[in-house]
Amino acid sequence: MNIEVSAIFQIAGIGIIVAMIHTVLKQMGKEDMAHWVTVIGFVVVLFMVVRLLNDLFREIRAIFLFQ
Amino acid sequence: MVKLAGALLIMAAGTLIGFAQAARYAARPRQIRELIHALKRLETEISYGQTPLPEALARVGAALADPLRHIFLRAAARLAERRETTAEACWTGAVEAVWPDTAMRAGEKEALLRLGASLGCSDRPDQLKHVRLAMVHLEAEEAAAREEQRKYERMCRSLGVLGAALVVILMV
Repeated sequence: MNIEVSAIFQIAGIGIIVAMIHTVLKQMGKEDMAHWVTVIGFVVVLFMVVRLLNDLFREIRAIFLFQ
Repeated sequence: MVKLAGALLIMAAGTLIGFAQAARYAARPRQIRELIHALKRLETEISYGQTPLPEALARVGAALADPLRHIFLRAAARLAERRETTAEACWTGAVEAVWPDTAMRAGEKEALLRLGASLGCSDRPDQLKHVRLAMVHLEAEEAAAREEQRKYERMCRSLGVLGAALVVILMV
């Protein structure tokens, strides 16, 4: 339980920071860099979510396939 | 405890990097302005004082602040050594040697090197014309540098802090 909550907070923190960097870069007229930052942040978060999903499916398989 | 110390160190490092970048953006127009003042003094030395070039360069350099002072003093010293063939070679060598210590970019360097090509090898009105041309060039660069400072100084600071915070969150 503890690990999942901290992971959720981590993802939320990444989202907030990336949004702030995006705003700062966009305000200074560097839209292309702002978009790259957003894309990279999205990819990082995606990797974390994929790892959690991997745990979930492993758990499901362990429960229903009796390995 | 160790984690907290590491996070604090990363935050401090990111913030310092951001502030150092911002300081570079702030230093560039200031140094260009100083360079323009120095060229004005050099113009006076050439037109009214009719000082020999090594002495004129040394006098101009003595009144300057630190990174720029070395350009003029070093050029004067190289001229006084009499090892190189032309004043242009001395000037170019001095500019190349000191340039990494300054916050200025290629445009200002180009203007200075072009000025060096005419220093000490033509008559007075011609040299004055070249000094004035370099000053006009530098003024244009200064306006561009001020614009860049206004745009990017604050961005660098906030980006340093935010990037450090991002790294800390990623590594928790």
